[in-house]
Amino acid sequence: MIEQVGFGLVAGCIVLAALLVARAKNAIHGVLWLGVVLGATAVLYVMLRAPFLAGIQLLLYVGGVMTLMILGVMLTRHDQHEAALERKRPWLAGVLSLFLLGMLVTAIQTSPELHASEAAPATVKDIGRSLLTEHVLAFEALSLLLLATMIGAIVLLRRDRPDRLVEESR
Amino acid sequence: MSGLLHGLLYGLPIITVVLTVTALGLWFERKFAARIQSRKGPTMVGPAGILQPLADVVKMLQKEQLTPASADRVLFELAPILCGAFAVATAAVVPFSPTVVAADLDIGVLYVLAVNALVLIPVWMGGWSSNNKFALIGAMRAVAQSVSYSVPMVLSALVPVILAGSMSLSDIVRYQAEHHWFALWPTIPGLPAFVLFFLSSLAEANRIPFDIPEAESELIAGITTEYTGMKFGLFYMAEYIHTVIASAVASVLFLGGWDGPFYPGLHWMVLKTLLLFASIYWVRWSLLRFRSDQLMTLCWKWLVPASLLLVMAAALFVKVGGGH
Repeated sequence: MIEQVGFGLVAGCIVLAALLVARAKNAIHGVLWLGVVLGATAVLYVMLRAPFLAGIQLLLYVGGVMTLMILGVMLTRHDQHEAALERKRPWLAGVLSLFLLGMLVTAIQTSPELHASEAAPATVKDIGRSLLTEHVLAFEALSLLLLATMIGAIVLLRRDRPDRLVEESR
Repeated sequence: MSGLLHGLLYGLPIITVVLTVTALGLWFERKFAARIQSRKGPTMVGPAGILQPLADVVKMLQKEQLTPASADRVLFELAPILCGAFAVATAAVVPFSPTVVAADLDIGVLYVLAVNALVLIPVWMGGWSSNNKFALIGAMRAVAQSVSYSVPMVLSALVPVILAGSMSLSDIVRYQAEHHWFALWPTIPGLPAFVLFFLSSLAEANRIPFDIPEAESELIAGITTEYTGMKFGLFYMAEYIHTVIASAVASVLFLGGWDGPFYPGLHWMVLKTLLLFASIYWVRWSLLRFRSDQLMTLCWKWLVPASLLLVMAAALFVKVGGGH
């Protein structure tokens, strides 16, 4: 009973904050509300007895991804008037979101493996083992992707590129 | 429910003690800095000026609370509160002795790192919402610095985790009590990892030589430029709490925590924490501030690769040395 009430509260928080992300007139406020969404998701993980996931969620998403988004917002141009994003065709967005919601609900209802089980909480060891045995291909593919991203960022930012030099001297 | 009760029973005294140590740390820093620079420091309030922090707090509480007209009001008010709360939250998992720990989480190390990463957000919020260019530049620097330095911090904190085979801070201390302190043995990943962790936590706490977010000679007061009274006090306090907890975590991870001969564990833990705490001030009053680009170069070109190597060395040590 307590768990259900707790879940309701946290889930309500997430939904509310997510709505506020979508409604935010100011990009920075949007990012901060997104932080609330991500933090509350970490609480959900704690309630599902997956503390490791919760810690990772806080460290990577709230600590890392949000910071990057903040940097992204701050390093790009935002005029006061431009920042208030115009919402074209809100009904289209609504229909699309409802469609997505329907898809998720049917997927959760029909897939047998997604029901919460009372299994023993996953330890760091279990997660590590399954990452390096069962899911090793996905793991390595992700590493490769991240490496490519990093190299791409470095190449884009190289200072000795001729076109870049021209831009700077202007 | 017993977990909650335990948390309250131990958490409240721990927070009280941490705040008291923070207040005394303020006094200690002034005295210590004064001695380093051949001055006297506070002498008027109480014996040897020991009541100076109290006087400071009373002064700050009396000051007028100003909010700039063009500030983002909600974020401006929220930032110092969150900053203080996140800074204190780290104390929850620090084991001060085998029994004195508010919450002995299985993922203690991860918790400390995660909450540490969170502190950045209110700091940045404060700088941005002030709507002041100096505050904004300070906030930008804080974000860039924190993001960069959390990489070597996380990696060097991984070294004791790998060596002890556990993420629980208590387990790590127990392992060190049975074997060796990680700063001593295995020396190769242990000692450099300790130094790296210490440096990165200095940078995370915005301490000299890493305090460019509030470099007063160029940025007035950085992120706290527009803050007055107790709101400024909260930021200031959070910085000290952060330093205390960082010292405590470093002594747990690398210096054997409560382990030591003759005296009870709590004494050793407090002694180690205070020694690290004092050495932070020693560094602070002896060194100059880095430039922004030097800071980034140091982090990305030296500390990050070094910490990666240390993690590999730790894994190798465990594998060759027979594991846990």
